[in-house]
Amino acid sequence: MILALAGLTVGIVLGFVFPWSIPVAYSKLFSIALLASLDSVFGGIRAAIEGYFDDKVFISGFFSNALLAAFLVYVGDHLGIDLYYVALLALGLRIFNNLGRIRQYLLKKH
Amino acid sequence: MYIAKGRLSIACVCMVLGFMLAIQFRTTQDIKASMPLQRIEVLTERLQRLESENHDLQAELQDLKAKAETDTAGELNKDMMMLSGTTPLEGPGIILTIDDSSKKSNQGTEDINLYLVHDEDLLKVVNELRAAGAEALSLNGQRLTANSEIRCAGPTVSVNNVRSAPPFEIRAIGNVKDLENAINMRGGVADTLKVWGINLQVQKAEKIWVPAYKNAVRYKYAVQSDQQEEVK
Repeated sequence: MILALAGLTVGIVLGFVFPWSIPVAYSKLFSIALLASLDSVFGGIRAAIEGYFDDKVFISGFFSNALLAAFLVYVGDHLGIDLYYVALLALGLRIFNNLGRIRQYLLKKH
Repeated sequence: MYIAKGRLSIACVCMVLGFMLAIQFRTTQDIKASMPLQRIEVLTERLQRLESENHDLQAELQDLKAKAETDTAGELNKDMMMLSGTTPLEGPGIILTIDDSSKKSNQGTEDINLYLVHDEDLLKVVNELRAAGAEALSLNGQRLTANSEIRCAGPTVSVNNVRSAPPFEIRAIGNVKDLENAINMRGGVADTLKVWGINLQVQKAEKIWVPAYKNAVRYKYAVQSDQQEEVK
């Protein structure tokens, strides 16, 4: 857990130090990828708590979810379907779901 | 907790997540900051374009004026220019300053409008000056030409379609004595206005300057006619 938090801190510091930022045209795709990553992380925590955590599944899920979300939004943009909001809604729901599970578990435990 | 397996991988993933978060945060900040900047750029560009346009037009005006002066029909042209009001003029004359009354009206019993300067008052003054042989007139920096109006426009007075508020300054070039007498004549304009406490000051000057008529002179409906007399 400490290692995870340390990694997060290092990542944030790196991100602020990093010289370039996302072009405006791609900021939409990037934000949805970020949301997918967040979702994966919460999913991972839930899995760890419930005891079926697998790091291969977790890491592959993290990257593939982010890429897939961005790709879907990109395709949607080109087809004239605003999949951005669809992805936003689905991922948001999942994040809240996972958070709920984690909370329930922690409350039961203590 | 059961996070025993793959701690390092989780740390890596968390690092990537933190990195993405920070980048996204910075991008959002950049977008917010850059919006007004774009606006400034657009406005700067427009200002520069207008300034250069203004400069070009000034040069063109100078050119045309120079050309007009070297014209063959020089003398006639000069008279026409003076008459039409397209050149600024100077000469001896008077400057009239007219302002609203400083007297308190007894509310209710009298009309408060009587204590204000109206377009009609200005028209009377201008008419009197013209009758006294004023050669050039201006009202608050607007040259009075043959087509100029003096018209009530709400709380202001419109001259050459430019509005101005009191105090009104009328400049008139002509015989100083004649002009002054025309205004200060017993029972004349000044007397009438002074009854209501309207401030009218006459200032004589050896040399006063009257601006040119600045708008374009365009005749849209009237054309020149060969006919010298009206035929019935």
